Amino acid sequence: MKGVVFNLLEEAVSRQFGPETWDDLLDDADLPGAYTSLGNYSDAEIVALVSAAATKLGKTNAEILQWFGEEAMPILKERYPALFENHKSARNFILTVNSIIHPEVRKLYSGASCPFFHFREADEHSIVMGYESSRQMCDLAHGFVKGAANIYCEEVTIEHHSCMNHGADKCLMEIRWAH
Amino acid sequence: MGALDALAASADPVDALNLRILKLENRLQRERAARLQAEEIAEKGLRDLYERQRQLELLETIATKANTGRSVEETFTFALDAICRHTGWPFGNVYRLDDASGELRPTPMWHAGDQERLSAFIERTQRTIFRTGEGLPGRVLQKGTATWIDNVALDPTLPRCHVAAECGLHAAFGFPILVGSEIRAVMEFFHRDVQALDEQLLTVMAQIGMQLGRVIERQQAEEKLIHDATHDPLTGLPNRMLFTDRLTRAVALRTRNPDNRYAVLFIDLDRFKLVNDSLGHAAGDALLTEIAARFAAVLESACTGDVLPTLARLGGDEFTILLEGAIENGEAIAIADRILETLAEPVEVERQKVYTSASIGIATCASYYTDATDIMRDADLAMYRAKASGRARIEMFDKSLHDKAIERLALESDLREALHNGEFVLHYQPIVALADRRVTGFEALVRWQRKTTGDLVAPGEFITLAEETGLIVFLGDWVLRKALQTLVGWQKQGIAASTLTMSVNVSPRQFHQHDFVAGVLSAIADTGADPACVRLEITEGVSIIDATRTAGIIQELRDAGIRVSIDDFGTGYSSLSYLHNLPFDALKIDRSFVASLKQKDDGHEIIQTILDLARNMGMEVVAEGTETADHVDMLRDMGCGFAQGYFFSRPVDAEAARALLAQVPD
Ligand code: HEM
Repeated sequence: MKGVVFNLLEEAVSRQFGPETWDDLLDDADLPGAYTSLGNYSDAEIVALVSAAATKLGKTNAEILQWFGEEAMPILKERYPALFENHKSARNFILTVNSIIHPEVRKLYSGASCPFFHFREADEHSIVMGYESSRQMCDLAHGFVKGAANIYCEEVTIEHHSCMNHGADKCLMEIRWAH
Repeated sequence: MGALDALAASADPVDALNLRILKLENRLQRERAARLQAEEIAEKGLRDLYERQRQLELLETIATKANTGRSVEETFTFALDAICRHTGWPFGNVYRLDDASGELRPTPMWHAGDQERLSAFIERTQRTIFRTGEGLPGRVLQKGTATWIDNVALDPTLPRCHVAAECGLHAAFGFPILVGSEIRAVMEFFHRDVQALDEQLLTVMAQIGMQLGRVIERQQAEEKLIHDATHDPLTGLPNRMLFTDRLTRAVALRTRNPDNRYAVLFIDLDRFKLVNDSLGHAAGDALLTEIAARFAAVLESACTGDVLPTLARLGGDEFTILLEGAIENGEAIAIADRILETLAEPVEVERQKVYTSASIGIATCASYYTDATDIMRDADLAMYRAKASGRARIEMFDKSLHDKAIERLALESDLREALHNGEFVLHYQPIVALADRRVTGFEALVRWQRKTTGDLVAPGEFITLAEETGLIVFLGDWVLRKALQTLVGWQKQGIAASTLTMSVNVSPRQFHQHDFVAGVLSAIADTGADPACVRLEITEGVSIIDATRTAGIIQELRDAGIRVSIDDFGTGYSSLSYLHNLPFDALKIDRSFVASLKQKDDGHEIIQTILDLARNMGMEVVAEGTETADHVDMLRDMGCGFAQGYFFSRPVDAEAARALLAQVPD
């Protein structure tokens, strides 16, 4: 996992719970915690940090990942404003993840392995999103989508029809807009 | 006062500790900000590097394709596709420069990511032609460099600005495809979003433009090779290969549908070889070029929409025309007529007026033709027939010609054999002085004594063929030597006076041999004949081609003591003025004038004119074809010095000629 994800997590934790909490999480997970955005770090470290956070805050790993994704979006917008500029809606933005967002990520961070999503635009109020990755981080995706909706001041509900965390070979999430 | 200053002023140890923590936190903040900045710089550097690398990959992919691609179309389509895919610009398109108008014209080569959405834009693009300076491609053409437009919607001078905006296209760039420093084509790309100038991308595109130019260059070189292989370098007309190709296609088309008619005109210039031999190759080339242009002009005005003409030069002085479409025999002949007419006007070559004519054979489509060779052969045959029946003629092929041709071929091989076997004999016709009826000389005439049949063949049946095939040169040499031998023999035996002359005919082909004079001199030396007794008879046709050269040769012969007469005077093309320039010793009045001599008739006047002319120029005159006593009397009364004809004697063999010499005139 690229260091930038760790930087985002640190930033999200620090903003909401203070920098000490981040120090505590590193301590609990027994990690040295020196991350630079361009570096590559073991996936296990992010998993360990998520677990430590879950324990500390009395939440599930899934809830932590969703929270992280949602909180990360505004930070991403601060860092990469260009990716958000030309869209009038979250839907529009989300649909560019395969064609623009993640390709751009690969340009910035060599060796980044970003997931590919299958989108099916069922109707104008919903999108079905297929996800498949050995990291099994559909909850992060869930959080990102939520965060994206917040940025465009929209309200979405996300329903996991099938999930790799529950034995399915891929995840299917339905994103539904309130209006 | 800042927080740090307040704490520093305090003496409290806790304050001192807090101060230290605050300082450390500040330092941490600085370090953090520095790290983020460093990361940002590194990220940007990496991103640029990544872009650059991808662009180089793209350039390399396209360069590789440009080296291996078989055609411009294939390579350009590949490039459009690769560039769109790589850059994510959804629309790409190629214009080619039209040499004649200098405009950029759309091609069927374009790529669209989302055809349905862009259909209006594509449709508009496909029917828009850009002049220099007009629109994006026109600006590329004008500047000669890659050009970028952030947002086409903001520039109403762009012809496609509205339709582009309607289809959601905004940014655009274009670049030239260059061969050397010349623009041959322009490529353009459009993006959905507004985009600021990407200098680096544009640089790579300019390089791609150079690579793609190489494909055009290669194709042009290939096209030139093919063109050269299928065209005559002198006239630029299709050559035999291309002509045969088109004819083959026409024959095939006709087999499928009898409405696809065609005709082949086979054109051979009359006496072209003489022009080439006497005026030189450069003059011959100039003549051919001019004639080709005249033929082309005839076809251009004669062939309307329904008939497609192909004019070709097969080589030498042979031209062919293929007429395809709704062509009837009558039209083919009409076109052949106009071809002949266009030659009526003399061609000026090296400040000389050269008169040419052509013989044309026509073969038209028939169901029994299955390949090009057959119909070409028949058109060729018809042309030979036209040539044989006199110059400047048109002949349609029919089946009987085919049989004639076979006969002709057989005759040619017989003729060669005859030369080899010595089947020729000479007959001699006396030339008589009208004043005292004395035999002053003989004209030697060749006959062919066929071994196989024993028949005696008259010259009319084989001289033309001998002339056409070049056998005449050998035959002529034999005739000259044989005739001189006979003369010398008679003189040695004391039968003939030492002044007796021997006239020998020289054919145009012989005369134009570069070593003609040398050949004559060696025959005289070998036989021991007195040059003063030798008379060479040449026809008017010989003298007309190049009077200066002809005069030179005649003078050379005269310098050697040989006398030269002009044969069949009055039948050819020569105007009387030619005679003034040519140093002939004698003139032979054609038999047709003598035949028309009747008491108190017009025939008189022509002959009288010729006689007066000859007297003025100091030439002797021999009248040919004198058949009656009346002829002889009248000619003598008009002042004609000599005559030959049946009245005196038909041509007879050597033995009979001897006997004539022995007779004393009564
Ligand atoms: C709705 C939009 C997005 C979704 C659904 C999404 C989803 C994801 C997910 C699920 C992962 C985890 C990796 C995996 O599953 O294998 C991931 C990785 C990543 N994403 Fe996104 N993402 C979105 C937008 C963004 C944006 C805007 C950025 C920022 C530029 C971004 C940057 C990254 C990075 C850096 C990684 C880490 C890749 C690695 O370390 O190999 N993503 N994304």
